[in-house]
Amino acid sequence: MMQATQERKTGVYLCGGCGIAEAVKLDTLEAVASKEYKVPTCRRHEFLCSDDGVKMIKADVAAGSVNQVVIGACSPRVNAERFQFDDTQVIRANLREQVAWCQPPGTDDTAMLAADQMRMAITEARKSSLPARHEGGPYSERILVVGGGVSGLTAAREAALSGHDVVLVEQSDQLGGHARRWSKRMPQRPPYAAPQDNDIDGLIAAVEADPRIELRRNCRVVKTAGGPGKFAITLSQDGAEHEVAIGAVVVATGWRPYDPNKLGHLGYGVSPDVVTSLALEDMLAKGSLKRNSDSRPAQNVAFVQCAGSRDPNHLPYCSSICCGVSIKQALQIREADPDSSVYVLYEELRTPGVAEEFYRAAQRAGVIFVKGSVKGVGADLTVTIDDALLGEEVPLAGLDLVVLATGMVPNSAGMIDGAQEQPAVPAADIDPMSPIAVAGYAAAPPPAPPRPPATQISVAGVPLLNLQYRQGPHLPILADGFADSHFICFPYETRRSGIYTCGPVRRPMDMAESAEDATGAVLKAIQAIRSVSEGRGLHPRSGDLSFPKIGLNTCTKCRRCSVECPFGAIDESPEGFPVVNASRCRRCGTCMGACPVRTISFDNYSVDMLTSMIKAVEVPDEDEEKPRVLVLACQNDAYPALDMAGIGRARMNAYVRTIPVRCMGSVSMLCISEAMSSGYDGVLLMGCKSGDDYQCHFVKGSAMAQERLAKVGETLKSMALEKERVQNIEVSIADAHKLPKILDDYLAVIDRIGLSPLKGFG
Amino acid sequence: MPGQAVESQVILVVGGGIAGITAAVEAAETGYDVVLLEKTASLGGRVAQLNRYFPKLCHPTCGLEINFQRLRGNARIKVFTMATLAGLSGARGRYKASVAVSPRHVNANCTACGDCAKASQTQVPNPFNYGMDKVSAAYLPHPMAYPMRYVVAPQVIGTPEADAIRAACKYGAIDLDEQPKTFELAVGAVIWAVGWQPYDAGKIQSYGYGRVANVITNVEMERLASPGGPTQGRIVRLSDGREAKRVALIQCAGSRDYNHLAYCSRICCLGSLKHAAYLREQYADAQVDIYYIDIRAHDKLESFYRKIKADPQVRFIKSKPASISAGENSDPILHGEDTLTRELYDRPYDLIVLATGMEPSAHGVTPALKLSTDDYGFVVPEIDEEAGIFAAGVAAGPLDVSMSVQSATAATLRAIRAVRTNGAAAHKGQA
Amino acid sequence: MRTIAAAPAGSRTYDLNFARWVYQNVDGGDRLSLCMQCGMCSGSCPIGTAMDHGPRKLFMMIRAGMKEAVLTSDTIWNCTQCYNCVVRCPRQIPVTNILQGLATVAVREGYAPEQPTAKFAKAFWFSVKHFGRTDERLVTAFFYFSFGLVEGIKRGLANLPIALRMIKAGRMHLGAPHRAKGAADLRAIIAKAEEIEKRERAQGAQQ
Repeated sequence: MMQATQERKTGVYLCGGCGIAEAVKLDTLEAVASKEYKVPTCRRHEFLCSDDGVKMIKADVAAGSVNQVVIGACSPRVNAERFQFDDTQVIRANLREQVAWCQPPGTDDTAMLAADQMRMAITEARKSSLPARHEGGPYSERILVVGGGVSGLTAAREAALSGHDVVLVEQSDQLGGHARRWSKRMPQRPPYAAPQDNDIDGLIAAVEADPRIELRRNCRVVKTAGGPGKFAITLSQDGAEHEVAIGAVVVATGWRPYDPNKLGHLGYGVSPDVVTSLALEDMLAKGSLKRNSDSRPAQNVAFVQCAGSRDPNHLPYCSSICCGVSIKQALQIREADPDSSVYVLYEELRTPGVAEEFYRAAQRAGVIFVKGSVKGVGADLTVTIDDALLGEEVPLAGLDLVVLATGMVPNSAGMIDGAQEQPAVPAADIDPMSPIAVAGYAAAPPPAPPRPPATQISVAGVPLLNLQYRQGPHLPILADGFADSHFICFPYETRRSGIYTCGPVRRPMDMAESAEDATGAVLKAIQAIRSVSEGRGLHPRSGDLSFPKIGLNTCTKCRRCSVECPFGAIDESPEGFPVVNASRCRRCGTCMGACPVRTISFDNYSVDMLTSMIKAVEVPDEDEEKPRVLVLACQNDAYPALDMAGIGRARMNAYVRTIPVRCMGSVSMLCISEAMSSGYDGVLLMGCKSGDDYQCHFVKGSAMAQERLAKVGETLKSMALEKERVQNIEVSIADAHKLPKILDDYLAVIDRIGLSPLKGFG
Repeated sequence: MPGQAVESQVILVVGGGIAGITAAVEAAETGYDVVLLEKTASLGGRVAQLNRYFPKLCHPTCGLEINFQRLRGNARIKVFTMATLAGLSGARGRYKASVAVSPRHVNANCTACGDCAKASQTQVPNPFNYGMDKVSAAYLPHPMAYPMRYVVAPQVIGTPEADAIRAACKYGAIDLDEQPKTFELAVGAVIWAVGWQPYDAGKIQSYGYGRVANVITNVEMERLASPGGPTQGRIVRLSDGREAKRVALIQCAGSRDYNHLAYCSRICCLGSLKHAAYLREQYADAQVDIYYIDIRAHDKLESFYRKIKADPQVRFIKSKPASISAGENSDPILHGEDTLTRELYDRPYDLIVLATGMEPSAHGVTPALKLSTDDYGFVVPEIDEEAGIFAAGVAAGPLDVSMSVQSATAATLRAIRAVRTNGAAAHKGQA
Repeated sequence: MRTIAAAPAGSRTYDLNFARWVYQNVDGGDRLSLCMQCGMCSGSCPIGTAMDHGPRKLFMMIRAGMKEAVLTSDTIWNCTQCYNCVVRCPRQIPVTNILQGLATVAVREGYAPEQPTAKFAKAFWFSVKHFGRTDERLVTAFFYFSFGLVEGIKRGLANLPIALRMIKAGRMHLGAPHRAKGAADLRAIIAKAEEIEKRERAQGAQQ
């Protein structure tokens, strides 16, 4: 195994297949390795990824003559599984997609590009080593579940059944949450037409009887320190505090109904017979549907949908469950009293999926659905509807009960009993109200609807886990108040490693979906425990053994690393030095990019490595009139796009030298100044989309890069260089077809302002 | 689990779409061995064919790339493409799975260099673009194909062209004699993630799909808008190449309809909102009309609806259109009643897009799988841990991408539990 | 663009009694509750422009309890029973049957005294019931004179040229109306059917 202390024995292996040998003379590339870099082992094969080629490399590794392999062949995105050798670091020089397939064969420029690819790869090899895993045990396998509703109970039960000890914390004295109040639940089984028995009691009993589950009612989390695998969590119960060791956390704090007192415009308060869905549910559970005002049986009932939801002045989102809940309740009323009259007043009826049959069941049962907006509710319960389908305002009179289908407010922070609602917690990175921020929306984007005052979308209260993190005690939330999650591709991923949210705290959802969500969250929790205890990184660099190491002797305590880490992985010691919590770290390298004194590095990724690679490129003298431009490309999106341009055999600019980076956030501005002083004519950062609809896998890498870049102007000025030489562009993985032009346009800019005056000084 | 020896801890995942890929990587990253079967030549399923995702309008390939990175680096996952589950016998912990592999005619030697494509003259309909364009008979399924390996179309097998294709390959990767084969695997649990297919729009007789020019489906629109699509991302009419600027998007084309799909397919409303964004991004003067019954932009997705609704060039018309007829200049004409104004319209468009729904891929689940389905063909959410077979993704119901991922992650936990040797007591529950 | 302006006269409050009555008493009405107001029926109607409301809106009016507006609507009379709507309705509601059923109710309850289609239907029925077939002269005469003597003569004269041409072409004959073979049996069948219907309605009213 090649470790920092061992003698480095690098072997370079060149492939001549797939057009590489036709594009460049392998002799020249071999010469770069053996002559320029004095690499002792250098071999070539016409078909390196064949069994025979791989066998050739394996033989060298087995013989001990090579402990670090540099492969000059195809992109690192392919054949990774072929070029895998035990305890051996593999470095890839992309000679195929980014040379042979996108450059004319046999030209000097192509040869120079290929040679530089080899120089960069060999330099990368010299400046890195196989990462040594982080040893930080002992690790706990216990899972903390916060919240004892459907999501939390399911999570606890699933974790226990999977062989993990569980601590289940419920802040009230009862389990079951809102689900306990439901007289019946929405159907999950075919034919999906009738309310189903609420089986919450069975789930509660199962949790209570499970010996693996330590149940703590009237309990709160008061403090969370540590990280995945080794959280130290302080619980407060009955006035006493206990500390528990926890491996991973599932947050299932659920929701609360939207405050109906804010719904005066829908009649709340005008009569005691204007009630919320939950109040009606209590009546249904008791089996007596009576008016609050005079205890007469309530026979004529109207449901007002979207009571607060889908309303920019209240809740901007759809609460998802209210249509189903009202249908369920309407069916229950119709079943109990065949003479009842039930109306559902809606704007958009949302019964997605198989729930459509539930809607039809209610229609079949004689429930009347009226599309329109409610204009007002009188004290005599007359509801005036602007009936969209009749095209006129129609009063609905003679009602006994008006039910407001109130929406869900996520409990993304805890409530303090009797305390005032507190201002919003920060870190709302996505604005659900923003106009479409699509690149290149041809016309002016449509005007943004008025943004609700912050108080209306704020999450009030105390931090759920009270994280003892440099980045604050709260779990990040999104602007709509729900707990942060990467809500399309990787819905469980949050910005706090080892902490997974599930259920309605994450997104409005019903009982069945909450249970499913909780089950998935438990898998992630178990996986996190397993990964960190093996020293492996979590999503998206799953399995990465490298982690940041900070040289404290040169650290200036500037705190940039701890502030900029998107995942709150770095704390500060009482003396102000950064402290890396390796198990929280996602290995993006944003800290490395932030450090002004380049004292943060990974075993296989560092500023030194990047700048050395940059300097390894041979920059032609000014009189050769061959510009050199450095492209630092995001490994996850821009780099694959460059590959796909090659796969499509697009002709790419030959003056570009590309280095893939873990994330734009990992790019130190020192890389840029090094490049400029080495005589490059420009630097192009190719990162992902930033902003509201950001596409950065590490949340804010490209945003960080932009911010840092804004300050590079000064540096360039001091070097007497034009600021256009350094640019940042956002590239998506689907932009392969745009890349040739993007690069040519950029080179045209360089051409216009002229070659760098700093050539030859580097 | 008592009374059952677990002989194999391997989890078999059937279906290589987003649900199957998720299940495979999540299981492997939790320390379990996985075999992933995919019917087509590449992983990625339907999401690979989407241009962008709602509501962020980001590219599905972005998330796929991460998932492919996770797959590539994980020795615990074994992927078989062109492979389906032909049979299953045994019980939890000791299933014998019989895997049927159809010939790709390209073996693992393939480097994706493309020399075979150069030697091929025959053009075959491109399945990735729903047949809207053609590819060489030796083709790479798409630029992000996983595995990155070519396919030789069966159409040319047995012809001299096939020999030329073989001769062109320097790496001995073309295997013209490859026969369909079946092999057996010992597995402990199964995740059934076979996904969906677009509802056949031709069955909606009055909409004239296949008969009236410039009537396409939503999945075709995705390819049309995609840079890798038949028009390199330009949204134009396939009949005459004219820019499609007046476009009608028809919701519930098949869904919520007893004559077709009785359920709501959940994703089509959001899909069409996304299509409106594509059009408005491409043409400053585009006029998009969305015909709907109810716009079902559930939860956070409501904000996406609100954004599109704020655009004055996107109209929302509450109407289930009655029919489409052919008009002049190959303009399809849409007929119906605007239910809010009572107007009976006959409107010509450049292009009409039918938002067809999702139909579960396997109508009637393999009986050996012990999964029961509802009348629609979705697997009923009765979790039988004892059987060790779990549905994930759209096989279990019409779900969007995020919900499919949730579903697959949950199924993974159940599957892992099913193959644990020191497993806890089995329980039957409900999803 | 074809716009239909007519709206039911006057607002009223929602009243479910009428809707329930329709659900239970009108042929096909039991499925009417499934209507989701998508507009497929009205949009599919080949003579939608000749209807004041169209089936979709008529169904919403039923739910809103607008009995008079529904039973006086020409929508129920102008349906040509092409069954386009029935074939296409996503909720498989027998729209045509319901419109027909509503027409029967309208006649029975006296909502359609001046409705020309109703008058024509009566004339048609008269001819079929008595002769086992439609006789052109009999039906038209019955129909024309149902508008009154003067109006009847006026309409008759207006259509005289057509009648003459039909005679010339052998499409209409002079002399007594032909009676179909077995017309007496048909009359007996109809009488029996009417008796059964009457009995069933009486039973229905009791329930």
